[in-house]
Amino acid sequence: MPEAALAARLRPARRWSRPERAELWLGALAVALLALIAGMVVFVFRQAWPSFSGNGLSWFLSGGNANTQLADIYHSPADPSHYLYALRAFPILYGTALSTGLAVAIALPFSVLCALFMVEFAPPGIARLMTPTVRFLAAVPSVVYGLIGILVLAPWINTHLVSESFKLDVKPIVPIGGGGLLLATLILTVMIAPIMIAINADALQNVPRSWLEGSAALGVNRWRTMWRIGVRTARPAIAAGVVLATARALGEAIMLAMVSGSFIFSPNPLDGLNFLLEPVQPLAATIVVNSEGLTVKPFGQTLYAFAAVLLVSSMMLSITGWVVRRPLRRQGVR
Amino acid sequence: MLRRSTTLAALATVAALALAAPAALAKTTITMSGSTSVAPLVRALAIKYVALHPGKVGFKLQQGGSDIGINDVAHGRVTIGNASRKPQPSDPGGLVFNRIAYDAICVITSTANPLPGLSQAQVQSIFTGRTRSWSQVPGARVHGAIDIFTRTATSGTADAFRAIFLGNTLSVAASAPAKSSNGLVNQSVRTDNNAIGFVSLDFLRGVRAIPYQGVACTLRNAKSGQYQGIRPFSLVTRGAATGAAKAFIGWVQHSAAARAIINTHWIPLG
Repeated sequence: MPEAALAARLRPARRWSRPERAELWLGALAVALLALIAGMVVFVFRQAWPSFSGNGLSWFLSGGNANTQLADIYHSPADPSHYLYALRAFPILYGTALSTGLAVAIALPFSVLCALFMVEFAPPGIARLMTPTVRFLAAVPSVVYGLIGILVLAPWINTHLVSESFKLDVKPIVPIGGGGLLLATLILTVMIAPIMIAINADALQNVPRSWLEGSAALGVNRWRTMWRIGVRTARPAIAAGVVLATARALGEAIMLAMVSGSFIFSPNPLDGLNFLLEPVQPLAATIVVNSEGLTVKPFGQTLYAFAAVLLVSSMMLSITGWVVRRPLRRQGVR
Repeated sequence: MLRRSTTLAALATVAALALAAPAALAKTTITMSGSTSVAPLVRALAIKYVALHPGKVGFKLQQGGSDIGINDVAHGRVTIGNASRKPQPSDPGGLVFNRIAYDAICVITSTANPLPGLSQAQVQSIFTGRTRSWSQVPGARVHGAIDIFTRTATSGTADAFRAIFLGNTLSVAASAPAKSSNGLVNQSVRTDNNAIGFVSLDFLRGVRAIPYQGVACTLRNAKSGQYQGIRPFSLVTRGAATGAAKAFIGWVQHSAAARAIINTHWIPLG
């Protein structure tokens, strides 16, 4: 080997590419990212504080019309000592919980059964087609669903499902149109189900083959084997899917702003089926609908308060997911 | 040792990110406050003005309604007060309203319900929720509940609608769904035969613009002054404008660039 080439081989690596240096920079980037996130949380809460302190705990209760309360905050006098903050945000929180909860509740059994079919029962050709389709559906931007909702489904619901007499009866209190809890929940379900199906199918595929074969060898039929061994083993992943899907539903803003009825209201279960047609306005949608007014200080602070509640909810969601998965993991895969 | 330098490097990264935002430059700043309807126009104009005159002048814009802008400028708290209404006798003395543009708003219904026209009293009765059914409205081609669509509180159009059509003392029924843009109101009205709403002039596609007080809502009628649903936008100064404010107002009133911006959503002068 020529001398020069050998010398080049033996020369120590340049300063920036030494392993310990790479470690330093990667660590620094990770810490910086954490610091940025922490800074963001602190910033949101500092901005939101006047809204919370101006209302106390009644911020979380109901009372009055939240739509007009928001309008009053927006039209606050310019003098900072006369800023208005009065808001009872319960209808917004309730609307968030209702649309998210219903969508996840519908999507969960559906996605488990769908994943079971894909993994175990579908003919190979159909399974090969379904997997990429589900992946694609999980990646469709929500605004596309929103457009379909507002252009096609909302007018259809308005003409076919809304009863004229109910509409007239409640007119002075709440507007009933095509958009509302039903449409919001429906589209949310369509939006989050593919994520859950994909995660559930992956988990079912990872169930050790020997466990399923062992069950089959004992004479248990395919359905029972999949249900008692497959689904049972995949529970931690199913829980993870629920957490991810809930997070997506919670943070969904544009689509819900388009199809949920454009009116802050607490749907009343006592109204029977009409309950489903009543409008809601979840947190994220309320922020996006009102973002035009961010420059009005007390109004901006109120929007930050919504953001703060969203942050806390997603944090609690992560913790809940972790707590639920821990005991499940002892007897499951992953 | 390694750990400490990791922390130091992290701090350095954060500091670098924080400093990335450019420090404010020292230059003349025109402060403005007032009408939320004027704000989008003035913001667009100011951005263009700064781009054309880099480094010379900066803007600071606060919103809060015409009255706030007029009071602020009268007390010398801002250079320019933005007003979306005409001068009133109750305004403080010594103010100059520099008119820069007009804003027109049309009342719209579905094409299935081509009303021959509405008077101010009818518009008020419908939008405040006193008239609830189309059968109470002469000339209506549909029956059943009137579906009112309004805009979110932050909308300048809603502000204008209230000022022009409802006379500022009334407000749109609190039970009306509030859409966040002109386009969404148009969409809602288009797909609901029983709907009524209001939009700016350039959102009339697919819906029926209702003649107001006997005059059709068109750009030509708005410019000629026949259509009553318009209001002037003014930049209010204390006495005649001077210095940077004078230069800016002159540019807004006379330059082709400003006219092009005004033409996008508003009606230019004369």
